Amino acid sequence: MKILVADDSRVMRQIVIRTLRQAGYDDHDIVEAEDGRDAYDKVQAEKPDLVLSDWNMPNMTGLECLQALRSAGSAVPFGFVTSEGSADMREKAADAGALFLIAKPFTEETFRENLDGVIA
Amino acid sequence: MTTLDTGERRRSADARPLITALIDAATVEAIAGEAWIALVGEDEVLVPVPAELPADTLSAWVDVVGPWTGTVVLTTGRQTAADLTRALLGDAAPEMLDHEDVADAFGEIANVVGGNVKAALRGSSALSLPGVGEAPAVRNPDDVCRLEVLWRGQPLVVSVQGALPALPVPHPPHENPHPNGASL
Repeated sequence: MKILVADDSRVMRQIVIRTLRQAGYDDHDIVEAEDGRDAYDKVQAEKPDLVLSDWNMPNMTGLECLQALRSAGSAVPFGFVTSEGSADMREKAADAGALFLIAKPFTEETFRENLDGVIA
Repeated sequence: MTTLDTGERRRSADARPLITALIDAATVEAIAGEAWIALVGEDEVLVPVPAELPADTLSAWVDVVGPWTGTVVLTTGRQTAADLTRALLGDAAPEMLDHEDVADAFGEIANVVGGNVKAALRGSSALSLPGVGEAPAVRNPDDVCRLEVLWRGQPLVVSVQGALPALPVPHPPHENPHPNGASL
């Protein structure tokens, strides 16, 4: 399956991809996006099976990206990987249709807990 | 003449808490320690020992805007920031790091520490994108929670510092007014 990793930090995209591998999800195609706008465009162009997105990004936040995708009729499974794991943010994420919110810092166990059942 | 004390000034002062009433250094240490272990490496511990920063430092920070408004600033030696970048990048680290790599990695650490400091504060706040460069100045020395640690023996400071200057303090009543009311 194809996973889109959206984060404005290249280092964090690498850490997310590395953690996916360490958590056992090592046999998937990865597409990278460097902000919410790029993620929105790449969901349309690349048709990923899952989006893992940061929240705070320039141009378009992760939340705005998710809202735009849903408005455009996309039902792509979408989860946040963000440094903001407060109850308030989790509620906003869930209201917008996110499947989960993984708070940074995360471990491979956190990835497995949230992604088992989502990634085949 | 009668002075009416409506308490308004005191209430508005109460409405802007100092960071020391919201978070302590032990909580910041726990947040930073967890970030290090998850991002930098399992064996990468922060040791809470104060030490003097070298002359050539680099800072990374995020702003928190909400009931408390300020900045979470990480400062360390420039070489230590480069070492942190290599640790984060692991096998993907290039032979020669450029400033963009260091700004990205150190900024992301500040983002993770700042995001978790924000989550530990009361109320709803917004977080900025990270900045990297010379540390923002301390505006109010009373509105600072400072943590000094060592990473791989090198000093690193986490400063959670208010962005606003100190509120004016009402002048205490004169205990010894000038005898004839003359002003100086």
